[in-house]
Amino acid sequence: MTDMSTRWKRTLCVALTGISIVTVAAASASAGEISVWVWDKAFNGDTMREAGEIYTKAHPETTFNVDDTASQDDIRAKLQTQLLAGSTEGLPDIVLIQDDIAQKYLQSFPGAFEPLSDSIDMSVFAPYKVAAATLDGKSYSVPFDSGVTGLFYRSDYLEEAGFTAADLENITWDRLVEIGQAVKEKTGKQLLDLDMNDTGVIRMMMQSAGEWYFNEDGSLHITDNAALKKALETYAKFYQADLVKPVSGWAEYTGAFTNGEVAVVPVGVWITATIKANADQSGKWAVAPIPRLDMEGSVNASNQGGSSWFLLSSSDNKEEAIDFFKTVWAGDQDFYQDILIKRGAVGSLLSAREGEAYKASDEFFGGAPVWQNFSTWLGQIPSVDYGTFTAEVDAAVAAQLPTIIQGGDIDAALQAINDQAQQQMQ
Amino acid sequence: MNPALLRRGLVYALLSLAAFISVFPFYWMIIGATNASADIIRGKTTPGGALFANAATFFATVDAPRIFMNSAIIAVVGTALTLVVSSLAGYGFEMFRSRIREKLFALLLLLLSIPFAAMMVPLFVMFSQAKLVNTFVAAILPTVASIFIIFYFRQATKAFPSELRDAAKIDGLNEWQIFLYVYMPVMRSTYAAATIIVFMANWNNYLWPLIVLQTADNKTITLILSALTSAYTPDYGMLLFGTVLATLPTLVIFFLLQRRFVEGMLGAVK
Repeated sequence: MTDMSTRWKRTLCVALTGISIVTVAAASASAGEISVWVWDKAFNGDTMREAGEIYTKAHPETTFNVDDTASQDDIRAKLQTQLLAGSTEGLPDIVLIQDDIAQKYLQSFPGAFEPLSDSIDMSVFAPYKVAAATLDGKSYSVPFDSGVTGLFYRSDYLEEAGFTAADLENITWDRLVEIGQAVKEKTGKQLLDLDMNDTGVIRMMMQSAGEWYFNEDGSLHITDNAALKKALETYAKFYQADLVKPVSGWAEYTGAFTNGEVAVVPVGVWITATIKANADQSGKWAVAPIPRLDMEGSVNASNQGGSSWFLLSSSDNKEEAIDFFKTVWAGDQDFYQDILIKRGAVGSLLSAREGEAYKASDEFFGGAPVWQNFSTWLGQIPSVDYGTFTAEVDAAVAAQLPTIIQGGDIDAALQAINDQAQQQMQ
Repeated sequence: MNPALLRRGLVYALLSLAAFISVFPFYWMIIGATNASADIIRGKTTPGGALFANAATFFATVDAPRIFMNSAIIAVVGTALTLVVSSLAGYGFEMFRSRIREKLFALLLLLLSIPFAAMMVPLFVMFSQAKLVNTFVAAILPTVASIFIIFYFRQATKAFPSELRDAAKIDGLNEWQIFLYVYMPVMRSTYAAATIIVFMANWNNYLWPLIVLQTADNKTITLILSALTSAYTPDYGMLLFGTVLATLPTLVIFFLLQRRFVEGMLGAVK
C-alpha cells in the first residue's frame, strides 16, 4: 500500500512538474520564516506581529509571516481537512486555537502538535490555560489571551437605582437578579441581553464551580451536574423576572450594551475594546467580579473563550519557534504591558500583573485598577477539562433553552441534553 | 367591490411583499456601505456619510487589486472551461446513442447527491500529491465538469433541431465543426444562461478555495470577506462596502446577459 502510494506520488510528481512550474509558488515557508495563522487582524494578528518583531530584532535571521486572512471557522476547516488528509504542505508553523476545542485536536490528531512543556516552564502561565491543552501529562500550547470574565456594568444606571460598587462585590447570580429587578424598576433598563443560541453565560457559570460537561474519562457529566443545573435555573430566572433583552447574533448582542439598553454584561475581558470604542460612555462603566453560583465550590472568577498558540510538528522551524515562545511569550513582561495598552489583550503570563500597565487605573471605568482586578481573578479561575465534544453539548444545551426559560422542568431538560449529546458523540 | 379588482390588488400586494423581501437585503447592503459600523449596529436604514471612510478602511485592510484579480482569474477561466467541457458533454449525451448512455447519465445525476464536504479530503490528498495545492489550477479543476451544467445542456440540446445537424452533415461538416459552427451559435441563449450560473458559482465559491488556496496573496474576495466578518470587533461599514464591490461583477454580467438568460431559461432555440 505504501509502496503503491509512493510510486503513484512519484509518477504524478513527474507528470505534473510542468504544471506546477507555471502555477503560483507553493505555500511552504522559507527557512527561517515562521508562519502563523490567526483570525483577527487587530487583536491576535497585530499582537503576534509585535511579538515577532521583538524576536526578529534580537534574531535577525528569523522573520515572521502572520496570516490573518481567514476566520476562525475557516482555520478550523483548513486544519481539519489537511490533518485528515495527512498533508502538512502549506500548514503554518504556529496556529492559534481556541482553548475549548484544543483537546479535540490533540486527541483526534496525535503527533500533529509539538509538546512544549519539556522545553518551556508552564508554571509561569495561568494554570487553567495550561490545563486546557494538557494531554497525558504533556502541555502542547503557549497560552495567549485569557477569557477571564468580569461583570461589566453601567455604574450610572446602578447608581440611579441606589447601588454602589461595593454592592456588586462577591455576590451570587441570585443576588444579581434582585439587583436587576431594582434597576429595572428605577431606570426601566433590562438587566442584560442574551442570545439564546449562545451558551456562553451558562458555561461561565458552570466553570466558576470547576465543572464542565464531561467526567474525567470523557463521558458525559450532565444529569448529575449540579453546577449545570444551577446555571440553567439561574438562566431561567433572568427570563422569569423579565430582565432580559433578547438578541440574535453578535451585532445585536454588542449593539444592546453599547447603546445603553442593558445594565450589565457578564463576559470575557476581550470585550473591553468593544465597550471602550464608545468614548462618549467614558466614566459610565465599571467592572465587578463575576457573580458566583449559590452553591458549594463556586467562586467569583470564571472564563469565557480565550486561545493559545500551538506549534505544528511538521514545522521546519521548531527550534526557533520554541526559543521565540520562551523569550517573548514566556518571559517578556514589557511585551505584555504593551499589548494590554495597545490592544486590551490580557495575556496569561501571571507575572505580567507586576508591570506598570497592569497597575494603572482606567478613567473609562471610573478610575478603577481594572487590569489588576482582572489579573487577580485570572489566577482564581477553576481549571476544567474542556473535553472533545464541547461544541456538540453546547448545541444540545441551546436546543433546550427555549423550554427552560418558559419554566420547563430542569431535570427533564438535562436528560434531553444528555440524550442529544450522547447521540452526537457517537 | 369588484372581485377581479380585489384579486388584482391582492396579487399586487403579495408581489410587492416578495419584491420587498428580495430587494431589501440589497438596499441594506448599499446603505450599510455608507454608514459607520456603530450606526449599522443601531439599525440605521438611511444613507450616511461614511462611504469614503469605509472605502478608505477597506482599501487599507485588503489588497483589493490582487484579491479581485484572483477572483476574476478563477471565475473567468473556470467559467470558460466549464462551459466548454460541460456543453460538450451535454451535446454528446444527447446526440450520440449508446446502450449505456442512460445508465451513465443516471449515475452522473446520482453523484449530484454527494455533498462536497465528503469529497474534500480525498480531493485535497489528490491535489497535494500532484503538488498543486495553493494554485489556481487546483481551485478551478474540480468545478470544470459540472454535472448540473451537463444536465442543463443536455435538456437544452433536446430542443436542438436534428435537421440542422443532418443538413450540416450533408454539407460535409464533421462533428467538431457541427458543434463549433452550428450548435454553439444556435444555443447562444443557453450559453448565456449557463455563463451567469457558472460565473456566479465560481465567483462565490467558498469551501474548496478556502481549503486549497493557502497564502493570503492567492485568496479570493469571498474568502477575504468571510474573514473580515469574524473579527472580534467587525467593521460592518467597511465589510458592506467590500460586499458591494464583490457583488458588482455578477451584477454586471447578469445585466449584460439578462435578455438571453431569460430566453435560455425558457429553452428557446432560434
